Amino acid sequence: MKQKNWELKLIFWIIAALFAAFLAGPILLLLGKSMWDGGFTFEFYASVVSKKGFLGALGNSFAVAAASAVLATVIAFLMAYAVHYTGLPKWFKSLVTAVATLPMFLPTITYGFAIIYSFGKQGLITRLLGRQLFDLYGFGGLLVGYVIYTIPVAFLLIHNTMGFVDKKALIVSKVMGDKNLSTFWIAVLRPLLGTLAGAFIQAFFLCFTDFGIPASVGGGYDVIATLLYNQMLGGIPDFNRGAVIAMIMLIPSVGSICILQILERFNIRYNRIDQTELRKNTTRDVCWGVGDTILSVMILAIFAVIFVVPLVESWPYKVGFTVTHFQSVFSDGSLLAAYGHSLTMALLTAALGTLVAYGAALITARSTLSRGYKQGIESIALVTNAIPGMVLGVAYLFLFSGTSLQNTMLLMILCNIVHYFSTPYLMMKNALSKMNAGWETTAMLMGDSWIKTILRVVTPNAMSSLIEVFSYYFINSMVTISALIFIAGAKTMVLTTMIKQLQYVNRFNEVFVLSLLILATNLAAKAIFTWLANREAAHAVKK
Amino acid sequence: MNLKKCLAIGLSLTMSLSLMAGCASGGSTSGAASGEKQVVIYSNADEEAVTAMQNALNSNGYEGKYIFQTYGTSELGGKLMAEGTNLEADMITMSTFYVQSAQDQNKMFLPLTFDVNTMAEVPDYTAPITSQEGAIILNTELMKSENLPTPTCLKDLADPIYAGQIAVTDIQSSSTAWLLIQALVSAYGEQGAQEVLSGIYQNAGAHIETSGSGPLKLCRAGEVAIGFGLRHQAVADKASGMPIDFVDPTEGNFSLTESVAVLDKGENTNPLAMEMAQCIIDNGRAELQQTYPNPLYEGETADSANKSTYPMTFGEPLTFELFKAHQDLSERAKG
Repeated sequence: MKQKNWELKLIFWIIAALFAAFLAGPILLLLGKSMWDGGFTFEFYASVVSKKGFLGALGNSFAVAAASAVLATVIAFLMAYAVHYTGLPKWFKSLVTAVATLPMFLPTITYGFAIIYSFGKQGLITRLLGRQLFDLYGFGGLLVGYVIYTIPVAFLLIHNTMGFVDKKALIVSKVMGDKNLSTFWIAVLRPLLGTLAGAFIQAFFLCFTDFGIPASVGGGYDVIATLLYNQMLGGIPDFNRGAVIAMIMLIPSVGSICILQILERFNIRYNRIDQTELRKNTTRDVCWGVGDTILSVMILAIFAVIFVVPLVESWPYKVGFTVTHFQSVFSDGSLLAAYGHSLTMALLTAALGTLVAYGAALITARSTLSRGYKQGIESIALVTNAIPGMVLGVAYLFLFSGTSLQNTMLLMILCNIVHYFSTPYLMMKNALSKMNAGWETTAMLMGDSWIKTILRVVTPNAMSSLIEVFSYYFINSMVTISALIFIAGAKTMVLTTMIKQLQYVNRFNEVFVLSLLILATNLAAKAIFTWLANREAAHAVKK
Repeated sequence: MNLKKCLAIGLSLTMSLSLMAGCASGGSTSGAASGEKQVVIYSNADEEAVTAMQNALNSNGYEGKYIFQTYGTSELGGKLMAEGTNLEADMITMSTFYVQSAQDQNKMFLPLTFDVNTMAEVPDYTAPITSQEGAIILNTELMKSENLPTPTCLKDLADPIYAGQIAVTDIQSSSTAWLLIQALVSAYGEQGAQEVLSGIYQNAGAHIETSGSGPLKLCRAGEVAIGFGLRHQAVADKASGMPIDFVDPTEGNFSLTESVAVLDKGENTNPLAMEMAQCIIDNGRAELQQTYPNPLYEGETADSANKSTYPMTFGEPLTFELFKAHQDLSERAKG
């Protein structure tokens, strides 16, 4: 019996249209710019690749991004493991989860400052410890910055999937007499291989495409993102050569698509996910507790300075307590308008983005559509990952300038949805692919329509992931800068663009105050969303 | 079921809201005078300059009739080049160098309709508002604690005694660095400039910054003892009590100007834009000169207390080609 799947096909074409306009369009534009100069030419490619230092920067980018991604994935795994597989008290697990995702709540502009103000010559930690811990300009600083930047993403992916892995396998494995290491591999690592690879890839591309952190602590260690920035927005904007670099940066994403395809076969679907009791083991708990505390403290330590600096007159030389910075920020009239815009944009992005990610994941993880459709979605997801925000912003400038979408909130929302599509999609896909594959067929045999099945069976089971995705989109929309600075207009300015302007005039105290405001908003939002999720779970149980 | 109904209603509201957001922000409904569209001004100017310009506009009857939006130089430069006359702004103030590049590429500015009596010749679509000079910036605390001699000229900065203590800007990413290179080329010629620059880059090590305000930022944070950047920013920091000082290098305080320009939007050109541009030039210069002392117009003089010691202008006109040539010089100096 052939399923018609018209609903899924409709969803596919809507998503395809969305990404055709707002992802493929910009990429094709860039491709054109990299090869067109009155006529078809490879001159730009030749001049960029042969330029001194280009290949070195490319190699550097790969090295530091790979190292950071590995480290971030490992740390994220350790923290997620403690949350799911130990008997630590609930409050501790919540704390670990909060700390692991904390860096995501702040604009990335703050990481560079956080590192310099913590570990620099006059840094907070340097002063506390009496000496500088490491040379923060170059590979070391980049590594620290990138790891902090990517732990939240890796953690979210791993933590999300771990919730869908059946722990009964642990019991079965023990009963069968496996040694501890075998149990670990069979029951924990193998089901997660796809996710771990996904987390690594996400982290890798985040590092590969970011230029904010190298701008602060990169030092002499050239990376490709800096080269891209210099070409696009340097002393002389050269969009053609910038487009060439952007195209070259897309190439690794092809490799990542292949890796994820290969690891698909390690995926296991579960008939039912039971909440199993874990064995009591105090030694295990204490070890993990201590380990995770150390990791958490390290992450928090770096951000402590963001709380300290706005409350003193002028770090590092005048450290008297003062609230003047807070006052000057909050008395600025344009702040409220920008804050309103930020909130609206974040909420709308979250709502629409969740729908898009959900639809896309349904197609790849829970449908019988042919491979072509699924490959299409996978490629879209992994390509959006590899485009730096700045490139997307500039491409949108070229594409939509002069149209009615120029400088509108809608364009900003769509840009965010496209820019941040990857991780939510992966989260939803991982969740949906762990659930029983037979639900749709059973429901169809029972006479329910596809929509009914999705709404009544799949969605409630995936609700925790949906809410995670919603909060991910919300939080990232609140903190994103690099694309928005180009497409926000005078009437649609948001908080983060204000931060960028303050940064140019070196008003860093105000930058930190605004960052704290964003942090507070994100924390409040997360609390609300978690409360909603728990309410929904309790509601479901009661029914 | 209740929750699902709420979700459904919520989602439909969301969709309609976003469609409305799409249309609403396109048109202008924010507090403008009846029927008149507000003039949108894009600017890369610093805070003091923006305040001066706004004061000039407000005290001449234009309050509420404009929206001022500041950007970083790089982003505004990118927008100018990419968007051309589709730019949301009706008027801009921007580094003159960028305005000229944008005009060459996009032909996007109107010739100014009012008299511009500058001391030096400027293109007919620009009128300079500020002249920003470069100077050596010092962190007095670090100079003391590291026992460093105070440099008097840029050539001093190539002295190995300053190794690891200097921060400069990369001319690849910011035109502020041009001030340094102009001074070196003017004093020592191309070859000499490259040698001195090479020594300076060696001393700077990891601190060749992407942003023009980067060196000052590092000086403030106590990361480096010496930087090169915009003089007026260092003056302001010193006045606010930070351990920052500045030295005018003997090679000269070279300057780059920022200018006002009006976009040519054909029929959609806002007539108020040209009036406001004129207002800023006629009425704003007095306050602007308090922060940027260099005289630009006939009849202006420099305040002797505030002005730099060696104000100089580069011998050749500051063109795109010259900038590129100096960028190449800088790359050769990096070795």
